[in-house]
Amino acid sequence: MTPRFEEEISLIKKVIVDFGEGRRSNLAIISDPFYGESELMDRVEGMIEDVCIRINAQSLIQSLEILKDSPGKIVIVEEAHRLYRRTIGGFDAMNRFLNMLLFSDRLFITTWNSASWRYLDEVLGLGRHFPQKVSLSKMKTDEIREMLLSGYEEGELTFLEGERGDEEKRKILKWAGRKKALMGHSLEIPYPMVDVGSIRSHLDRSEKKSPDEVFFEKLARISDGNPGVAELLWKEALDYPEVRNALKDPPSIDLSREESFALSIVLSMGSAKLAYLSDVLEPLGISAQNIANLLEERGLVSIDGEVASMRAEALKSALEHLRRLRLVW
Amino acid sequence: MADNSVAAYSNLSGSANVPSNIPDLGINSYTVINALLVLALAYVAARIAVFLLTALSERVYEHRITVKMTIPIAKFIIYGFALYHIAGSVFQLSAVQLVAFWGIAGAAIGFGLKDRVAEIVGGIVIVLDKPYQVGDKVTIEDYYGEVRDIGIRATRLVTPDDNLVSVSNQQALNQILANANAGSQEMMVVIDLFIDSSSDASRAMEILRDATVTSRYVYISDKRPVTILLKDYPFYRRVRSKAYVYDLRDEFPFETDVTKRAWDAFEAEGIEPPKAGVVDLGGGSAIDS
Repeated sequence: MTPRFEEEISLIKKVIVDFGEGRRSNLAIISDPFYGESELMDRVEGMIEDVCIRINAQSLIQSLEILKDSPGKIVIVEEAHRLYRRTIGGFDAMNRFLNMLLFSDRLFITTWNSASWRYLDEVLGLGRHFPQKVSLSKMKTDEIREMLLSGYEEGELTFLEGERGDEEKRKILKWAGRKKALMGHSLEIPYPMVDVGSIRSHLDRSEKKSPDEVFFEKLARISDGNPGVAELLWKEALDYPEVRNALKDPPSIDLSREESFALSIVLSMGSAKLAYLSDVLEPLGISAQNIANLLEERGLVSIDGEVASMRAEALKSALEHLRRLRLVW
Repeated sequence: MADNSVAAYSNLSGSANVPSNIPDLGINSYTVINALLVLALAYVAARIAVFLLTALSERVYEHRITVKMTIPIAKFIIYGFALYHIAGSVFQLSAVQLVAFWGIAGAAIGFGLKDRVAEIVGGIVIVLDKPYQVGDKVTIEDYYGEVRDIGIRATRLVTPDDNLVSVSNQQALNQILANANAGSQEMMVVIDLFIDSSSDASRAMEILRDATVTSRYVYISDKRPVTILLKDYPFYRRVRSKAYVYDLRDEFPFETDVTKRAWDAFEAEGIEPPKAGVVDLGGGSAIDS
């Protein structure tokens, strides 16, 4: 199995060596949720255990004192995006943290949610504080296959063909209707629509690929190369020793602006407390609880107690939807 | 006597050899109906094109303005093709007939239709020169609104109060015109808040900046920065935010959102509005920052 994060690890090693030689360049590791940045930080911590302190940004919101008293020369700050809130006065903790970076002689290795990073880079100029940046790259189909099959012998798993019935019934050209008022009467005007999924499905069938090839190509497409999402979908498909190809393309998202904004808040944190959602949404006259319930009903977030989290399988379509609305830049 | 007059009438009406200086344009009821049918088809085609392009522009949200830009072009092409078809295929005008047609058309234009022709030419100039496009927010002759349509004859704006204003294309070209976004999806919105001179202006600027950058309508990039400005007047201060909305249709919701949240925070921090009657609401000059 090809070890993951080799490129990232070699860059981090270089940053650490440079720091040892007196050249300090704080590092930002940027990724979408579920990319496995914690796994990367585990490996980094393993390399510099004696000289580092590892901390989640959540514990720095109230005060940075905890860092002042710690002995490590290298500081790993996970989920650094949690230091800001999208409210008036919500940048205070982040500004304190960035000011501390300017005057500290320690090396900071930080992880960031990519949506939050892009937002904060425009609002606060984050990039200037982190001369070294690494964006965790998407995994290709072969890499996903290698990652997921690494624990199995060749031929151990049987890949079943997908259910063809519904797929084959899908037509490439469909008719949709739109209501239009004409001379006081409401008319439904039909117009043709091309079903892109159906074209893709027909092309896949015509290329005569093996069931495992079809499965992993679809998995890579639906997960958008995100290893965390791919792993989750793999677990759902695996019914040892069989792998069912029941992967479904995520449905298109139809949300109002307010609902989309709430989704962008959850996405930019990965998971958000309902109290935080209330702080952002209540001044706008929007009930956070109602919107969170609606997003859960649509299969976009899951609510566990007081925390709303992005659902891995909805990540790709949520990102596409929010980028289209320019709520995520 | 009666027989003679019948014969004379027969001779006149049946004469194919009566000399005439008027060229035969070949216009009969069939060609007129055909021409009207072509125009009707062009009208339907233009409506369908507008409908499809509008629907497409909402689907490709980030390129909305670019797609909408093609709507007037499509309409001019459709109507232009219809007129070409009527002249060429329906009436089958020869060179002589074309000269005669343009002679008559020239006279008609000279006497009564010059304004209509100027409007059509104005429409073509607007489409080619692009002083504004469908989807832009413009001010024409004291009317501010979103351009909904650039028609053959007139440009239609929808004002913030949902009034439909029609300005002839010729007039629109002759006016001083202000275009708020010039074909771009984003648009700058200027928000002014006035505070009492004794209030903490620095804190007010911080709050207004936070309110602006946390708005759900804001769009920030290197080319679209947020700027907060302060201006001192004799009895009050103006805190101004200049920022971009990601969809120009959100201009007023953005202004409302930022103003409401900023004032809630001002009140919480003891930042007060100016005393009654001291603010000059005459507006800033063109060079005002």
